[in-house]
Amino acid sequence: MKRILKALLLPLALVLLMGADNQEARFQNLGGKIMCTCSCSQMLLKCNHVGCPNSDQMIRQLRAQVAKTNNDEEVLQWFRTTWGITAVVEPSTHGFELLAWILPAAGLGLGLLLVVLLIRNWKMRPAPVAAADLNLAPDLEALRDRARRETEI
Amino acid sequence: MPLLGSFCLLFALALAAYCFVVGVIAAVRQDAVGYRLAETARRAGMASFAAVLVSAGALVYAALTDDFSVAYILHHSNRALPGPYKFAVLWSGQEGSVLFWALLLSAYGFVLRLRHKVDQRLVAMASMVLAGIQVFFLTLANFAANPFGMMDRVAADGSGLNPLLQYPEMVIHPPMLYLGYVGVSVPFAFALAALIMRYPGEKWIHITRRWTMVAWLFLTFGISLGAHWAYAVLGWGGYWGWDPVENASLLPWLSTTAFLHSVMMQEKRGMMKVWNVWLIFITFMLSILGTMLTRSGMVSSVHAFAQSSIGTWFTGLLIVTFTVCFVFYVLNRDHLRSENKLESLVSRESSFMFNNLLLLGACFAVLCGTLFPMLSEAVRDVKMNLGAPFYNKVMVPIGLSLIFLTAVGPLLAWRNTSVGSIKRNFAIPGTVALLVEVVVGAMLVKNGVRFWTDMGQMYAMLAFCLSTLVIATVASEFIRGGIVWKNKLQTNLAFGMYQLTRRNMRRYGGYVVHFGVVLVVIGLAGAAFNRDVEQEIGKGDRVAIGRYTLVGEEYTEDDNANYRSQAALLEVYKDGKFLTRLNPEERFFKASGGQPVHIVANHSTLNEDLYVVYEGRNPDTDHPIIKAMVNPLVNWIWIGVLVIAFGTGMALVPNATVMSVPVPSAVAVASMEKQGMQPAGVTE
Repeated sequence: MKRILKALLLPLALVLLMGADNQEARFQNLGGKIMCTCSCSQMLLKCNHVGCPNSDQMIRQLRAQVAKTNNDEEVLQWFRTTWGITAVVEPSTHGFELLAWILPAAGLGLGLLLVVLLIRNWKMRPAPVAAADLNLAPDLEALRDRARRETEI
Repeated sequence: MPLLGSFCLLFALALAAYCFVVGVIAAVRQDAVGYRLAETARRAGMASFAAVLVSAGALVYAALTDDFSVAYILHHSNRALPGPYKFAVLWSGQEGSVLFWALLLSAYGFVLRLRHKVDQRLVAMASMVLAGIQVFFLTLANFAANPFGMMDRVAADGSGLNPLLQYPEMVIHPPMLYLGYVGVSVPFAFALAALIMRYPGEKWIHITRRWTMVAWLFLTFGISLGAHWAYAVLGWGGYWGWDPVENASLLPWLSTTAFLHSVMMQEKRGMMKVWNVWLIFITFMLSILGTMLTRSGMVSSVHAFAQSSIGTWFTGLLIVTFTVCFVFYVLNRDHLRSENKLESLVSRESSFMFNNLLLLGACFAVLCGTLFPMLSEAVRDVKMNLGAPFYNKVMVPIGLSLIFLTAVGPLLAWRNTSVGSIKRNFAIPGTVALLVEVVVGAMLVKNGVRFWTDMGQMYAMLAFCLSTLVIATVASEFIRGGIVWKNKLQTNLAFGMYQLTRRNMRRYGGYVVHFGVVLVVIGLAGAAFNRDVEQEIGKGDRVAIGRYTLVGEEYTEDDNANYRSQAALLEVYKDGKFLTRLNPEERFFKASGGQPVHIVANHSTLNEDLYVVYEGRNPDTDHPIIKAMVNPLVNWIWIGVLVIAFGTGMALVPNATVMSVPVPSAVAVASMEKQGMQPAGVTE
């Protein structure tokens, strides 16, 4: 069992840890977080429509910023300051925007905690507890039998 | 006709109010008089459907006859609008869509009240709950968003239907979504009714299982038709943009999916009763939230076609719904205690719990992302929209985990699963999945794709691997069960599998749905390998993308009563050989002030789509601009949806032998047990 888990976790870990470390990859990665501000509602690197007033300039600026600093967050902050907060569609990892990242993770974490507590509670319970007023009628028992058959082979 | 429509709408409200109030009185009295009152309430509820139907018919008639004295028709139709789109006017604007909600709700209520003999007491209470919801929507339609408002002067022509909606799929996409949204009202009504009545057992679940599946199927169809419409009409080459309104449709779909899984634990083992009741309550509230987001203008969206101030009404409905649900839960929670406990972490039950955790986690993440702009505006006075990068980062890992559970869950036994059984069940599917992954990886490398340099492509590779695992496990379930029936009936494997399926349509229909879901996932994963190019292209000019070359052959212009258009005729070559001609077009609808709409030309195969958009002319050079994209595997998304529909249809069909499944022979039982399976028809 442990070997199977390890075999499954290894590729997952590789995927998650695989980071883009060269400049072109950083450029592509950051370009996918910035929106073209010409109202076309496209990501910067996807906005290639002929005659776009902004994308060429923004792409040039992105290249320059990627060359200037190794800190991706600084690049995104520069775009927020220059083109407005809505130019970056991926929330930042600090300040108020951090909340956008924390909330889903906290929700999942809380859910996981609840599941673990529930399972623990069930496992510690000495014997199955019948519902307070559950005098099942014969037809309901038949329905439950049918459900048993229908939910497994 | 508008007067008749207006009167019927008011009459429908009176009937629904009678059904609700008298339903409450009947529920309180619980005597012979109460029974008779309940019967009159039921009939009033059924009559309300007829009244709303006439009202909706009057609005459609006004659209078909160009009655521009009705303000709604003036603002959403015009004389040159083709007939089917005039019919779609019913749901294309704010007031009409509220009436349409009320119509569908009344229709569901009509069927429910017609089939009251399934359980008269429970149906009477559920009918009362539904009538309460009807009263809300009919009040809204009568007093806040009346579709029969009249103009002082009759205009010669109307403003026309939103051009983006003038597409065949748009005639059916909104009704499908609405059928899904409204459909969850029925299980909600039964769940609340059962809780109010402290109704014993899981009868409400048995009664509503098919209702829930049908609502889920409509939601699935609605979402996928919307995605297909976005792909075919919006011209950006994608089908899902994580737009708030798209998200709003996904939220109840995710929670209904969770409910359809977790409900099996209650049906089979009497567990998770509180969870299931709240899951269906939440699903209903999410469907109301979805309607609110679409209609209130709370979030900015390309899909929010009808915005107004009715959001406060929906906020009120949400608060009332939550309060009612919470109060009855607190009063009757002792009735919802579990009858069994979880015996092992490695069991079917725990896989359902983790499945629910992930589905609800996904639901919560989408909800956070959708509402974050509002939060941002409240705190910082800036509406920060979260785009695809955020959702992809959060949702892709959750989605992949769900696919993994889809592969693993069905192979785990109820109560407890031994390690030996897991090894036995996973050996072949796991090996097949790894082999396919290696082959796909090798093919990509051969075609010059360095997938390890791109995070999106790495995720796509993982999605292919897990999808193969699901397909292999589903196939192994069919084959192993089929072999048992083949031996038992002395027949061939195909007939054995047919017999196996016919005897347990729900389970094997579910597997087919899982198969459909992974086909959709494979299609979605293909997006990681999309390519595109945009270029000016005059007559005889060429544009190359991947193995394709497009050559400009001719450019035309057209003009008719509804729109004027510009189009390109392009010759397409693949690997230097002539393949086909494509005709992308751009239309400018006159009634909407010349708003442009792309008519995409798409050469679609199972392998990839060549998706070509006419982007208009460069104002400097007057040369046409063509955008071409190669989108791999997109067709599998639409095929997957059809497979999901087929699987759901299978699960809705009763078993061939429901109550008297033949007990397998001792040889067959031994054979099945050896393979880690439990024989059909044998209950613990």
